[in-house]
Parts: sequence; structure tokens; C-alpha cells
Amino acid sequence: MADVSLKKVGKTYENASANTIEDLSLDIRSGEFVVLVGPSGCGKSTTLRMLAGLEELSEGEIWIANRRVDELEPRDRNIAMVFQNYALYPHMTVAQNMSFGLRLAGMDKAEIRRRVEEAAKLLDIAPLLDRRPKQLSGGQRQRVAMGRAMVRDPAVFLFDEPLSNLDAKLRGQMRAEIRRLHKRLKATTVYVTHDQVEAMTLADRVVVLNKGKIEQQGTPQELYERPATRFVAGFIGSPTMNFLPAKVVTESTRPALRIGEATIPVPAHKAETVLQRVGQDIEIGLRPEHFLVDGPADLSATIDMAELLGPTTLVHFTLAGMTCSAMLPPELAAPEGEVQSLRIAFDRMSIFDPKTGHAL
Amino acid sequence: MKKHHMRRAFFVTLVIALILCCFLAPYAWIVASSFKNQLTLFNDVTPLSWKAFLPVGGTIENYQSLFKRTNVLTALANTAIVAGGQVALTLLLCSMAAYSLTRVSFPGAKIVFVLILLTFLLPIEALMVPLYQVVSGLGLSNTLLGVMIPWVASPFGLFLLKQAFEELPVELEDAARIDGAGHVRIFFSIVLPNVKVPMLTLGLITFLFSWNSFLWPLVIVQDPANQVIQVAIAQQGSPTQLPNWGETFAGATVATLPLILLFLLLQKYFTQGMTTSGIKG
Repeated sequence: MADVSLKKVGKTYENASANTIEDLSLDIRSGEFVVLVGPSGCGKSTTLRMLAGLEELSEGEIWIANRRVDELEPRDRNIAMVFQNYALYPHMTVAQNMSFGLRLAGMDKAEIRRRVEEAAKLLDIAPLLDRRPKQLSGGQRQRVAMGRAMVRDPAVFLFDEPLSNLDAKLRGQMRAEIRRLHKRLKATTVYVTHDQVEAMTLADRVVVLNKGKIEQQGTPQELYERPATRFVAGFIGSPTMNFLPAKVVTESTRPALRIGEATIPVPAHKAETVLQRVGQDIEIGLRPEHFLVDGPADLSATIDMAELLGPTTLVHFTLAGMTCSAMLPPELAAPEGEVQSLRIAFDRMSIFDPKTGHAL
Repeated sequence: MKKHHMRRAFFVTLVIALILCCFLAPYAWIVASSFKNQLTLFNDVTPLSWKAFLPVGGTIENYQSLFKRTNVLTALANTAIVAGGQVALTLLLCSMAAYSLTRVSFPGAKIVFVLILLTFLLPIEALMVPLYQVVSGLGLSNTLLGVMIPWVASPFGLFLLKQAFEELPVELEDAARIDGAGHVRIFFSIVLPNVKVPMLTLGLITFLFSWNSFLWPLVIVQDPANQVIQVAIAQQGSPTQLPNWGETFAGATVATLPLILLFLLLQKYFTQGMTTSGIKG
């Protein structure tokens, strides 16, 4: 286990018009599971590769276990990495794949065998040790890739979108497996994904990257409930957050928001902030579960489409010219074409400055 | 429908058989003629009869005199050394060059690659004089090394292997770096074992090219002790007499046999390499 620290790290490619990574600083505590998440091209994989030593830094420093490592070769950083396409050596057996690094390090044969067998047992791949990668399923290859990382007993585990090539069911299983392994090994882990569900379910801390910069970092719950920007609000959560244009008005000296035809009150904890913007346009963010069907209705909308998801029904409707979705109990959701009365959980809504995208 | 399919299959088989006959006929004639004396050999082709393709009235005299009178065994050994050496050096050089051009980014890499490919366009005959000057200048004329050395930097080999390296996921090398391997270890332990088929294909093509080469060995080697098989066969007759065709054909048969055996052993890789590299003949 080891602390990891990225200090003002930057990366510029020769032919790129802008910096891929800019002034990125991040401290990861020993044993922490940090997920870097963001859309394609946001720089998350580049950050991980710089941490691994597979990419050079254009500026900044990387420290692992209180040792500056950005000038060191990958082998000298005491890290292990699991790749998106597993990167298992096709011409070697599972056992040879797992032990390659240890053999290069000149480790004693008996110790190598002990480590490989222990990891194989833990990952449930002991019967596969003599097979070659092409004889394995996607899930088995994933386990072998994890085993190869584990046997090295590294200070830091790096995962680069390791579940992207698996089907949905297997992805769910492997997610749980990775979480379980982390709890058991308690190793510092940096995990890159573009899948926000993976980020939410695995991470102790999620770091959202956008255009090479950290947009927000925090626990999954913090990011979900209190997104710092419209980008984070839209990226985290599935189905995605609904964004509605609104105008700040006053009603009996109290601030309120006009959304289309409806006027809704502002939650008490946001009143002071909003009061300074009377007459201005803002944007509110409501998650699908922030629309409720119990209690007095705040607005009503005609349902354009209803999708039964099992325990809930996702209904789609148009509000203030925007397509919205709400997660409702199936028995209370109106069918398509009918009007649904909705109450809004105002106290949970987010408010954004439409110009800067920052939360108010 | 079934009848239609059968008729089509029959027609296709017939066409393939005819093409096969066209390719096999010269070899059958060479082998058959190698077992005939000069008179029978000419009688069978004037006019051409089916006997020309069968060893009718067979004799092994041609083989006996070939091995007794000429240095064919030495030439075979020389050719094996040249072909083997050329294969080893070509594989080493081309794989290293192709790997550098694929994975190491340096200014002008594309231009270097295009320039190398352009050498494809030069006919071998046009290279003879400058090559002779260079090889002689190096003091390698009349040596087996001089026979093989100009051809080990093969643009075809570089092209074939560059394509193979491009298809190899770069993550394999990344994983090996993290596992602690350096460039040399990665190249020999991870990269090369995963381009086995293109390497074997290149090895086989190089071997065929080297084994069958005639013009360059004729130019660079004058010493009969260092001559290769194709030149030895061509020079086995006396300049003042008509060639002994039966003996010549016996020599050609002996020279072809190792190639046929090699091809039979490695044809799987040869066809695999050709189809996967996109170079279909």
C-alpha cells in the first residue's frame, strides 16, 4: 500500500492543438480506491499511463510511497496494471503469463509457484493455469490479467477500463469481484472508466475529468447529490439528470422559479443564493427520481413514452420545451398519452449558472 | 439444384486439374528426362509425346555421372549455407528494422519507409554493377558471405513484418514493460513469438529466393569451390561441347528436391502468412 500524488501534472502531445492534461493535481491515500471517470478524450487514460510510466510527463511530478517516480521506468515504480484488452501474452500459458514479471525479477522458482497458485486460487482460475489465453473466455482472461497484477504484490494497482470488453452480466460480476478483492488486499487502486455506473459502484472517491482537468472529486454520493458543475451533473447518474431553463422571480417577497407555465418555490437552503439573481435566467437540474407522484402536484405533463424497467417505470415527457424523464412506481405511472401529475422534490434539485455551468 | 451444384463442382475441379497440369508438366518433364539418355530424351519431344513426361526406359546414368563428374554436392552444401545464412540474417535485420519503423517514432520515419519500398522498383539486373563494386570493395567477392550479404536487407521482408507488427496490440509491450522487460527482452520474448507466421513466411520466401538465385552468384563467385547449385548446374557442361541434357535435368531435380520438401513441411505457414499479410500472389 502506498500514497500516490500527482503534482501539477501536464501532458502535451506534439501534434495536439491543446494540452491533453493541464495542471492536474491529485492526492490518493494509501489503500484508497479512486476512479478516474470522464468522456472519451478527457485524459483519464493518459493520466493512468503517466502514473504507470508508459507516457512521459510534459510537466509536473508523480510521487508513489513518498518517492518521486516520474523519471523511473515502469518496472521501478512498484505498480501493476490491468489493461482494457487484458494484454495477455498469447504465446504463454496462464501460469507463464502470471509469472513473467517475477521471472524477470529473478525471483526464486518456489516462491513464484507459491504466488501464482495463491493468486489463481483466490481468483478461481487454478484449473486454467496450463491453458493459453485464446482458450479462455473474456471473464477468465480478465481474471488472469488481475492475477498477473496481483502476484507482483504492487504498491499500486492501475486498471484501464478493464471491464469494457465484457458483456453486461459479466461486467456486473467482475465489478463485484474487483470490489471484493480491493477490500481483501487493501491496495491503493486507480481505476479508469468512462462508465459512471462502474465509477459509482467501485470508488471510495470519484474524480471526474473533463478536457484534461479535474471537474470535481468526491465520494460517489457527493458527486451524485451535489454536483459542482452542470457537466458532472449530466455525466454522473443514469438515467441522466434533467436540465430545465428557469427564471428567478419573487412571489410575496420570496424567491421562486418560473419553469414554463409553472412557478415553483426555491428550497430554503438555496433561497439566499437565488435571491441575488432575481430577473435572471438560471438552469435547474432534477434527477429522474426527484419527480414524485405523492402529495400535492406542482405541475402536470403529458407522457410521451413510458418504459417499464421492472421495479420502476421511466416516463418521458416535455417540460418547458425540454424532454424530461422521471422514475416512477409502475403502478402510479400514467400510460403514454395521458396526463401525469407530478410533485418535485425541490430540496434535492441542483441550480446552475447557465453561462458558467457552475452550481449555485 | 443438387444436380446443378454437382455440375458446377465437376467443372471447377476440371479447371483446377487443367491448371495443375500446366504447372506440373515442366517439372514432370524435367524429372522424367533426368532418367533418360540424350537420344531418348530428344526422340520423346520430336514430336512431343506422352512419353516425355514419364521416365520410360529409365536409367540412373545421368545421376551417377552428375555426382561423379561435377561438384554438385559441394554446390548443394554451399547453397544450403548461403540460403540458411540469408534466412537468418534477413529475419534478424528485417524484423528489427520493421519494429523500429512501427514502434519508434522519429522524424522522417515515413520517408525512410517509402524510400526503402521504392527499392522494390529497381530490377535486380540494374543493381548488379554497383553491388559488385560494393561487395568487391568489401573484399567479399568469391565468398559465400558475398553471395548472401546484398540481399539480407529485404524491402519485401520489411514491408511484410511491418504489417505484422502493426497488427500486434501495443498493450502487450506496455504490459511487458510493467512486468520489467527492457526493449531487447520485449522484442525477443514478446514481439517475435507473436509474429511467428509472417516470420516463417519471410524465411521460406527468402530461402526460395536464395536457393534459386543464379545471376548474382554467377557474377560474384568465380571459384568453383564456392559456387552455388544453380550456377553449378548451368556450368556442368564443357563450353566446347553440346550440353548433356539428361545430366542437366538430373541436377535440376536434385536442386529442386530440398525446396519441395521444405515447402511441403511449411506450406501451412506460407499460405497463412500470405493471406494474413494481405499479399496474395
